[in-house]
Amino acid sequence: MKVIVCYKIVPEEQDIVVLKDRNLSFDRAEWKIGEFDLNAIEAGMQIAGAAGGNVTALSIGGKKLESSKLKKAVLSRGPQDLYLVIDEQIGEADSFLTALALKGAIDKMGSYDVVLCGEGSSDLYAKQVGSQLGQLLNVATINAVSKITPDGDQLIVERTLENEVEILEITLPAVISVTTDINEPRIPGMKEIMAAGKKPVTQWSIADIGLQKSAKSTEIISTLAPEQADRKQIILEGESEEVVEKLFENICSELH
Amino acid sequence: MSSVKKVWVFAEKQDALAQLCAGAAQLGQEVSAVVLGTKDEAEKMIKLSADKVYWLGNPKPEKMLEDYVETIADLLKKERPHLLLIQPSKRGMLIAGRLAAGLGTSVLVDASELISADESIHSTHMVYGGAAFRKEKALTETTIATVGAGVYTALPEDPARQGEVIEVAFVEPAIKIKRTGKKVKESVSVNLNLAKRIVSVGRGFKNQADIKMAEELAGLMEAEVGCSRPVAEGLNWLPIERYVGISGAIVKPELYLAVGISGQVQHMVGISQSRVIVAINKDKQAPIFKQADYGIVGDLNKVLPLLIEKFKARKQ
Repeated sequence: MKVIVCYKIVPEEQDIVVLKDRNLSFDRAEWKIGEFDLNAIEAGMQIAGAAGGNVTALSIGGKKLESSKLKKAVLSRGPQDLYLVIDEQIGEADSFLTALALKGAIDKMGSYDVVLCGEGSSDLYAKQVGSQLGQLLNVATINAVSKITPDGDQLIVERTLENEVEILEITLPAVISVTTDINEPRIPGMKEIMAAGKKPVTQWSIADIGLQKSAKSTEIISTLAPEQADRKQIILEGESEEVVEKLFENICSELH
Repeated sequence: MSSVKKVWVFAEKQDALAQLCAGAAQLGQEVSAVVLGTKDEAEKMIKLSADKVYWLGNPKPEKMLEDYVETIADLLKKERPHLLLIQPSKRGMLIAGRLAAGLGTSVLVDASELISADESIHSTHMVYGGAAFRKEKALTETTIATVGAGVYTALPEDPARQGEVIEVAFVEPAIKIKRTGKKVKESVSVNLNLAKRIVSVGRGFKNQADIKMAEELAGLMEAEVGCSRPVAEGLNWLPIERYVGISGAIVKPELYLAVGISGQVQHMVGISQSRVIVAINKDKQAPIFKQADYGIVGDLNKVLPLLIEKFKARKQ
């Protein structure tokens, strides 16, 4: 089984600074693999573990993707190799352009059986790329998958909807978006991180994958922090009877 | 008069469809509902402000809602509406994405507000785990947007309204996914979104048994129990239905008591609409304190038993 796992790098939420004009600054932000994409990578490793085969990682984005730390972060989690499509403009791509770039890369990479995506990126959380990618590749496309069991040349999956879980047979190739609770992503050890540095990485430009700088389908007007609610900020310290009594009184004053 | 003419709506559930219909009536001049349901359900949408109904027919047990993507995609290409509003259920999100990709466009997701301005649709939605709201505009002829519950309020039925119900022929999908079974979701019935008070537990709890304290306190305060993501996903100490945060429940109680929760952005977005936020955490630097009304920097294992005693005494 040939598995491709897609991921996005995102700024560390704690490092995002809200400026005075309510714009956001990412200048001091560390970048990391999107939290929910870790589930897709782990799901890929488990499919390959159960059915045999190999896992390739794929990402598109800006120059930040070139960081060797980030390359090791994904490869230490198991994939045997990594493909990157790097272009500064594509870092801010909307979901359609992202899906289009992924399709371009996958077409160039050759054959595959399963493409896995996370539920959504942990920064924009549009939960769209997997669905759009599947449509563009013209293969079976499904989301909200919470369990995957390889079964010969197909996959049996469980899909967790709002009020029920449905069991589906997915013929391959397919694009599958997994839930955030499908698995517990592994934490790589020092050995895996060392070995990750030796795994092959292929880097392409958007020209390499035949992507025209197509017109965007959406335009960002503004991204502003919400006005914060005024909080009372009455914070006490300690665990004494008096301190807890005060908190108790404060809570009671708000219960109607 | 709005520059947006044709607005279409599509939803998995009838109540969501009624809400979207009301929104579409605000945004556009002509509202069309795409309905998979009984003929009565299709006709009802006319009374709920649709001018036209594209009726996909009665639901069939062997067909999934997703099997209608090709049928709807064909309709979109033929009729070219300016805007299609879709309910963001799990199925709705998949369908929205597939339809958008087919049209060569993105989806304006989870719009908390949609306006029609300078010949296009502008949406507002949350990004960066709630750290910001983004305003975006669509640049394509047909815009697809997902709009969640509560953004629009359904209009009362108007029996006098007239409209047209158009029966649509099914287009067989090229690739089919076979459904072999269904399971009832193992879930506890909690609706944190409606809870007036919530006591929420986080990683500050070192043992699963300690959660009993939070449950006891919640009982005394007539509150629901909530939790942060790692407690529900990972530790599995509480069911996923109790998880509060960006990919879980977005709550707006009168009072939210966060115990042992540090207050990461993804959690804070779920609770920022609470009227009062109270925090108990042993780490003075925990970000939750910056957005709390009241709090104690202290060990929850010492604070909670005292607090429980006081609430017990108050009951008597």
